[in-house]
Amino acid sequence: MNLTFSGKRALIIGGTCELALTLAQHMIASALFPILTHRSEAGLKAIHRELLPFTGKYETAYLEFGTRESLQTLFPRIGEDLDYLVDFAQGNYENLIASADEETLYRYFTENVSFRAELLKTAARVMLKKRRGRLVFISSAAAESPNPGQGFYAASKLASEALYRSMGLELGGRGITTVILRPGYVTAGRGKAFLNARGEDILEKIPVKRAITGEEIAETVLFLLADSASAINATVITMDGGLTSRK
Amino acid sequence: MNILEELKKILTELLDLDNGDITPETYLIQELGAESIDLLELAVAINSCFKIKVKDEEIFLTRFRLHLTEAEQRKEDAVPYVATKYPFLTAQRVEEIIKNIGKGPQLKVKDVMGYIAFHSKEA
Repeated sequence: MNLTFSGKRALIIGGTCELALTLAQHMIASALFPILTHRSEAGLKAIHRELLPFTGKYETAYLEFGTRESLQTLFPRIGEDLDYLVDFAQGNYENLIASADEETLYRYFTENVSFRAELLKTAARVMLKKRRGRLVFISSAAAESPNPGQGFYAASKLASEALYRSMGLELGGRGITTVILRPGYVTAGRGKAFLNARGEDILEKIPVKRAITGEEIAETVLFLLADSASAINATVITMDGGLTSRK
Repeated sequence: MNILEELKKILTELLDLDNGDITPETYLIQELGAESIDLLELAVAINSCFKIKVKDEEIFLTRFRLHLTEAEQRKEDAVPYVATKYPFLTAQRVEEIIKNIGKGPQLKVKDVMGYIAFHSKEA
């Protein structure tokens, strides 16, 4: 199947993670122009290292997720021109709810929910000028079925999902649509370390008996950005090999 | 830049209207039928055209009734209290809105013009 894209410029939030870098390469292969955000010099170097063969076919932009000042300068810097947004950003805070640190939990929701709402508002207003835009939020199967200790992670993912879903409802009539992808266990990024430590037990629980690869996620996101997927709006797609459907 | 003429251009395009329909006294919601999504697009277009930061709730007087209630709770005079929330409106205009507030949404083209003029000067 040949995917067609009516837009070109794609902002990847959380652009230094392994999945984002894999996606960026798929985008470049499809003649899209990824703009990857980073929060540190080390992150910037990682992007350039990974995308070395593609110099000139992507851009980077500084965004400290949770820091409002960096958001105010992000869109003017990338030229107020945007067709797609893929959001991988997610702070990690694993703790039992009853033993959480109060300061940390307030900060966690400010960074991962309130800041994201402002990011969405700002991006939508840029996209409204062209009356076109597609936003994909990378959530997690843990939003549906968290393990003990993932309460804050799941709550912030569900809240963020609700923001994306509502935006697709509110602005769908103006050409701006959203979709949420919930991957299950992934053999990339944080999931890789987890699977390495507890792999056999986990895989046994997944109906397809394997974890999801970064390539599969990247290809699925690319499909979700394509013109033929634009009717998939304001909804959630789960990609976990059947994990959260079982009893 | 003539604020009224630019606003007319934006509104006729956004709401699919005839240019002659719009004067400073025109009600945006009551007469032009602007809905919340249209106001959002209007805010985006104003930001783009006049290069000013637009606070939607302020320019469209969204919380006007809430500010009236606050004035009542604080036992303050409504007109000066509400006027502090909308520095781009004259006291006379605030009074007029309060007088007619039971007759439907009071937002007029001239209120939006006032916001643009006020913030253009600031910029």
